[in-house]
Amino acid sequence: MAPVQSQVLLSPAELSYLHSSLSLNPPIRPDGRSPTQFRPLIAESDILPGANGSARVCFADGTEAIVGVKVEVEKSQWQPTAGEHASRLSIAAGDIAMNDEEDESEDTSKNKGLGENSWVEMSIEIPGFRDDDSLPIFLSSMLTEALLASGELKDRLYINQRFHWKLFIDILLLSPPLSYPLPLLSLTTHLALLSARLPALKSEQDEDPLFDDDWDASIPLYPRSKSKSVTDIPPITLLVMTVGSNIIFDPSKEELSVAEAVLAISCAASPTTSGSVRLLSIRTIDPPPRLTPPGIPNSMNSATGGNAPVSSTDAIAQREALSLAGVWTPPRGGIKRGLIGRVLKMVAEKGGVAEEVLQALEKVEVDG
Amino acid sequence: MTSLKRSFASDSSAPNLSNKVYVRSTKSGKVQKIVRELYLRQDIPCSSNLCSKCAQIAPTDYNNKVAPFVLSDTPAGTKAFPNGHYLVPDTNAFLTGMDLFEVETAFYDVIVLQIVLEEVKNRSLPLYHRLINLTKNEDKRFFVFFNEFRLETYVARDHGESINDRNDKAVRKAVQWYGEHLQEAVRARGKSLRCPSIVMISDDKENLRKAKAEKVPALSLSEYVSGLKDADLLLDMISAGREQRENKSGKGELFYPEYFSLSKMLTGVKAGTMHQGIFNVSPYNYLEGTVHVPAFDKSLLVLGRENSNRAVSGDVVVVEVLPKDQWKAPSTKIIEEETLNKNDNADAEDGETIVSERERRALQEEVKRVHGQSVEGRPQPTARVVGIIKRNWRQYVGHVDKDSVRSSSKSSRSQQTVFLVPMDKRIPKIRVRTRQAGELLGKRVLVTIDSWDRDSRYPVGHFVRSLGELESKGAETEALLLEFDVQYRPFPKTVLDCLPAEGHDWKVPKSLEDPGWKGRKDLRDLLVCSIDPPGCVDIDDALHARPLPNGNFEVGVHIADVSHFVKPNNAMDKEASMRGTTVYLVDKRIDMLPMLLGTDLCSLKPYVERYAFSVLWEITPEAEIISSQFTKSVIRSREAFSYEQAQIRIDDKSQNDDLTTGMRTLLLLSKKLRQQRMDAGALNLASPEVKVQTESETSDPVDVQTKKLLDTNSLVEEFMLLANISVAGKIYEAFPQTALLRRHAAPPKTNFEELGNQLKVKRGMEIRTESSKALADSLDTCVDAKEPFFNTLVRIMATRCMMSAEYFCSGTQAYPEFRHYGLASEIYTHFTSPIRRYADLEAHRQLAAAIDYEQLDPSLHSKAKLEAVCKNINVRHRNAQMAGRASIEYYVGQALKGRIIEEEGFVMKIFSNGFVVFVPRFGIESLIRLRDLGTPEPESEFDSENYVLNVTGSRNVKVELFQKVKVRISDEQEKSTGKRKIRLALL
Repeated sequence: MAPVQSQVLLSPAELSYLHSSLSLNPPIRPDGRSPTQFRPLIAESDILPGANGSARVCFADGTEAIVGVKVEVEKSQWQPTAGEHASRLSIAAGDIAMNDEEDESEDTSKNKGLGENSWVEMSIEIPGFRDDDSLPIFLSSMLTEALLASGELKDRLYINQRFHWKLFIDILLLSPPLSYPLPLLSLTTHLALLSARLPALKSEQDEDPLFDDDWDASIPLYPRSKSKSVTDIPPITLLVMTVGSNIIFDPSKEELSVAEAVLAISCAASPTTSGSVRLLSIRTIDPPPRLTPPGIPNSMNSATGGNAPVSSTDAIAQREALSLAGVWTPPRGGIKRGLIGRVLKMVAEKGGVAEEVLQALEKVEVDG
Repeated sequence: MTSLKRSFASDSSAPNLSNKVYVRSTKSGKVQKIVRELYLRQDIPCSSNLCSKCAQIAPTDYNNKVAPFVLSDTPAGTKAFPNGHYLVPDTNAFLTGMDLFEVETAFYDVIVLQIVLEEVKNRSLPLYHRLINLTKNEDKRFFVFFNEFRLETYVARDHGESINDRNDKAVRKAVQWYGEHLQEAVRARGKSLRCPSIVMISDDKENLRKAKAEKVPALSLSEYVSGLKDADLLLDMISAGREQRENKSGKGELFYPEYFSLSKMLTGVKAGTMHQGIFNVSPYNYLEGTVHVPAFDKSLLVLGRENSNRAVSGDVVVVEVLPKDQWKAPSTKIIEEETLNKNDNADAEDGETIVSERERRALQEEVKRVHGQSVEGRPQPTARVVGIIKRNWRQYVGHVDKDSVRSSSKSSRSQQTVFLVPMDKRIPKIRVRTRQAGELLGKRVLVTIDSWDRDSRYPVGHFVRSLGELESKGAETEALLLEFDVQYRPFPKTVLDCLPAEGHDWKVPKSLEDPGWKGRKDLRDLLVCSIDPPGCVDIDDALHARPLPNGNFEVGVHIADVSHFVKPNNAMDKEASMRGTTVYLVDKRIDMLPMLLGTDLCSLKPYVERYAFSVLWEITPEAEIISSQFTKSVIRSREAFSYEQAQIRIDDKSQNDDLTTGMRTLLLLSKKLRQQRMDAGALNLASPEVKVQTESETSDPVDVQTKKLLDTNSLVEEFMLLANISVAGKIYEAFPQTALLRRHAAPPKTNFEELGNQLKVKRGMEIRTESSKALADSLDTCVDAKEPFFNTLVRIMATRCMMSAEYFCSGTQAYPEFRHYGLASEIYTHFTSPIRRYADLEAHRQLAAAIDYEQLDPSLHSKAKLEAVCKNINVRHRNAQMAGRASIEYYVGQALKGRIIEEEGFVMKIFSNGFVVFVPRFGIESLIRLRDLGTPEPESEFDSENYVLNVTGSRNVKVELFQKVKVRISDEQEKSTGKRKIRLALL
C-alpha cells in the first residue's frame, strides 16, 4: 500500500539534517511552523451550481482540489415478494426492515441501521494516476471508511423501504500531488458534504418518492442546528507523522521523507458531548523514507579508511550495529505504543487539533 | 485565489445575469437539481401603441419586422379609471374568472405576465389553452409580457420567501414598471394624451394588501367587475370557488372521505393495490359507476355517492377494490336522480347528508336482492374512489331546475343558489349561484363545474352563458354541439387564407407542363361516375370499370385529392386535424374543411375536371385481384348518381352505353367481393338507422323513415373497403412504424356473456365468439321464423357488445393486433373520404410519399405526433357519431310532437322496476317504468334468471325479454333533461 510519490531529491546528508532538526525539542520545521500548525489554506464551498454540494481548497504549497457531491434516487436492492410486500405496506415498515438489514451491515447495527454502505460512492482523480492505481483507491477507501464509520450519514440516505439516495462524491485533485494529498482531499470533501443539500421529500412512508421542486426547501445532508448541540458533521482525516518522540501535524513533502511513522487519523464530532471529538479510525501509512538511499558511514567507506561490506546482507548487518548520529539511515518502521497514545490525545482531546480544524472549516461554510 | 463562484447578487459587472434553481423529477424517477442562467434583457417591448421608445428597441424577426404592438393607445375606461386602463391579472384571477376574460363586452387590453401564464399552465392545462387562444385573438388585445426576462421587472427571490410570495411580488413589480414606463412614454409623446392606469387584478388578499402598501393600483376580480356594465351577468361568471369556501370553512359537515395523496395513489397503482381508470356512470342508474381497469376482466362497480366520492363521469380516477363480501351484481333497477332527490334545496347546506334517505333505501333494496340470490349471483367486484388523477370536467349544457328557484321574478337581482340539471343524465346536478335566476328559467344554459368539496353534496359551478329557449332549434343544436365538443365556430381568417386565391374559379391547369400535372396520370378519358346519397355535395369518391383485352377488368376508385390543397402544418391543416371529422346533423353539417374545398374544388363534381388520387386494380371476372396501382390523377366524372338513380340506371335494360355497362360490371364484382368477405368471416351487423325527412324550407321534421338499402349502396361500400385495404397494405409496407391504420379489436368474451345467456335462456340459441366467422355464423342461426325482425334485433344487441374501431399508428401495435374484426381484414385504414375525415387525409399523404409522389412531412414520420393525432380523431369520430344520433333523436321527437301512434316494439332489456322497448319503425328505444304502467305503482316480481318481470296489482302483465309488444308512442318533455322525448306506453 505504499503511496507512490515523486521522489524527493534530497541527499542522505540533507535527509539526515532534516531528520535531526525535526527530532529536536521543540522540533524545527523547514517552514518554521509549530508541530501542530497547519499550512495556510484557502477554501470556499458551494462553487458548482449544478451539484448538490461542492467545495474547493487550495493549500499554500500549490495543491488544489475540487469536490462535487451529487445525489440520485435509487431503488433499494432488497425487494420483498409481491405478497409480502403488500402486507408490509400496511404494517409499520420500519422495524421489520431493520431486522432484515442488520445482518448485512453488522458494524452499524447499534444505529438505526437502515442504510447500506454501497449507497456512498467515491471516486478520486489525481493527475498522472489511473483510476485503478493504488493511490486513488487507497485514498478513497480510507475516506469512505471514515464517512461510513458513524453510520448516520447512510441512514440519512434512506428514503423508504424501496428507495434511497445514492451519494456520489467526486474528488478531483487539480494540481499534481506535490505532497501526500490525503489532508487536502479530506478537508475538501468535508466542506463539500457540509454544503450538500437533498431535495425535500413530500411523499410519505413507502410511497414512491415525490420531491418538492423548490430548491430553497431542500434540506442539508448534514443538518446543523443553531444551538450546535446535536450535530453530526462529516469526518476529517488528519495526517500525522512522528520523528523521534516528536509529533508533527500536516507534514510537508520534505518532512514526510524523513518520517519514522505516518498515521492517518479520521475523526468526527462526538454525538454525545458537544465540542469534543471522537476517533473513527487510525491507519498507518507506509513512510516514504523507506525508499531513500542510506548514507554511508565512514566506517563502511573504503575511501575514508573503513571496510566496505562484502555483500548486501553484510551491509545490513553492519548497519544494524551502528548508531551514528549524522548518518542517514532509513527508518525501520514501527511506532512506540506510548507515542500513539500521545498522538491520539493531541488529536482528540478537548481543544485539540481536530476540534480546531473542524471549527476553522465551519467558518468557511458560514462565510461562503 | 480568485473565487470560482459566480456571484449573482449585487455583482455590478453582470447586472443582466441571474439564475434560477429548482428540482426536477423525471418520469423515470430521477431527481435532478437544475440551474438555469437567466439573461435579462432590456429590449422586450411593452407592446403598447402609446410607447414609441419600445417600438425602436423591440427585436426584429427574420424578416426584419417588429411584431405589431398589441395594446391599444386608447383603452376603454371605467368609472374608477376614467383615463382608460390596462389589466394585469394574477394567476388566481385567470383561474377563477377565465369565462369572464372571454366575454366580448369587456376585458380588453390585458397584459398576461409570463409568470402568470406559467402558473396557469401548471395549475390547469385546459385553462392555459384557453388563455393561449385569447392571446391569439387579435380583437381582445391580450399581450404576453415576458416579465421574467426584462431587467427592470425581474425580481430576485428573497431568502426564506415562498415561491408564491415571490411571484406575487413579480406581478406587482411588473404593474409598477408598466405604470412608470407608460407615464414616461406619454410624456415623451408630449401631446395631451391620456395615460392609462395599469390595474392589477388579484383575488389574493395578502397580495392586494401589499399592493395597497406599495401604492400599486389593484382590485379584486369581483370589485373590478362590479364597476362594469352588465355587472350582474358578469358576476355570475366568476367561478364559485374560494370565497364561498372560505365563508363556509369550519362549520360544514364533511360528507365525503378525503382523497389520498398523489404519491400514495401512484405507489398504490404501481404496486397493484389500487387501480386507475376512467369513471363512467351508468345511464340507467346514476348511483352506479363503472371503472374499467386492466387488472380485472369485468369493470369494477362503484356503488353509491360515498364510494364514487365526488368523481364525475369521465374523470380519471384511482379506485380501491372493496372486500369480497361487498361485491355485488350490477343493478337491475333504474334509479334516476330526478325522482329521488326532487326536493333538495339548493341553498340549504346544513340538513344535507351525503346519501339521502331515499337513495339509501334504493341501494338497500339492491343489496337485499343480491344477497337473496343464492344461485350464482354473479357478483362483480366493487370499488371505491380514493382519488382523482385528472378531472375531465368540461362545460355542461343543462337547464335550471324550476323547483330550486326561490323567486322567479325577472326583475329580482338578488343572488340565489339554484340547481342546474345537466342534459347528460350521468352528470350530477350542479349548484350555481346566480343573480339572474328568473331569466334563466326555461333556457338552455351553459355552465362549468368549478369544484366539489368534501362538505358539499353537489358540485359547485358557475354560469357561462345562455344558449336560448328550451326546444328552440338554434339552442338545441348548439347544445348538442357543445355537449359533444364539436368545434362549430366559423373558420378563422388564418384558415381561409390557406385556400387557393382563385376561389371558385380554380381549374385544373390546361397545360400539361404545369407543375400541378407533375406526376399525375391523365385519366380524363375514363368513364367515371360517382354514386352518393341524394343531395350530397361533398363527393369524395368516384368509380369506373372497363374490360381489358385479356378478359379481366380494370376497376378504378378515384378519391378527391384533398392533400393537394391542404398542405401539412398550415393553419388549415391544424384546424382540420383538430376538428378531425365533418359532423352530420339532421339539418346541419359542420365541415372539417372550408366550404370552398369540401363542396367545390375537391368534390368530384360531374362534368368538370378534378384532381384525384386513384387506386386502379386489375380484377378477374371472379373478383380476384391481379394487381393494384396507386396514382395521382386528373379525372372528369361523367355523372353524379344518387343510390336510387344508379339502381334505376343499372336495372334499366334499355340502357347499354359504356357507362352503364361499367356500372353493371362494378355491381357484379361487388357482389362477389362481398361474398368473399362474408366467407372470410366479416360481420353483418345492424344498427337502427332512420332518416328524418325535413321540409326543405324550414327544415322542420315531417316524417321518419328507416333507411332503405339498395344494391348500389353495397356496390360503393365494397369498392371503398377494397380501396382502403389496398392502401393500408401499401402504406404499411412503406412506413412499417408510422402508417396510420384503423383496427377493430376482437371483443372480449365477457362482453357477450349476457347476450349469450339471454339467448340461451329465452330461445335456446347459442352465440359463439371464438372468431368473427363463428360469430357471424351463429348470428345467422338466430332466426325466429315467426318474427323476421328478431334476427336484426339480435344483431343490434350484438353490435353493442363490440369494441369500437380505432385509428392507430402501426408502430404501436403488433401486426396481429392490426386486424379489423368486423370486416375480417388483416389490415385496414381510411382512405376514401378525405373531405370529411382527417385520418383519410393523413393516409393520402402517406400514400403519396409511398409512391414517391412527394416527400413525407416530418410530422408523419413521428410516432408520437401520429399517436396524438389518432387519439384526437378517435375522440372526435365518436363524438361526431353521438352528436349525429342525438340530433336524429331530437328530430324524431320533434317529428312525433303532438302525435299519438301505436307501433310494434321489442323488449330489449329488463330491470326489476321497468324495461326497455325498441321500436324498429322509428329506431327509437325507450324505458317503460313500472310506475308508468298504472297507479298506484304495481307490484312486481323480477326473475332475473329467466328475464321475466311479473307485474301484479293495478295492472297484471308478464313481460319477458325479446317479447313483441304493442306500445303507444307519444311525446313528452322530459323534466330531468328538458329534452322533448318519446314516451312509450304499454298497450
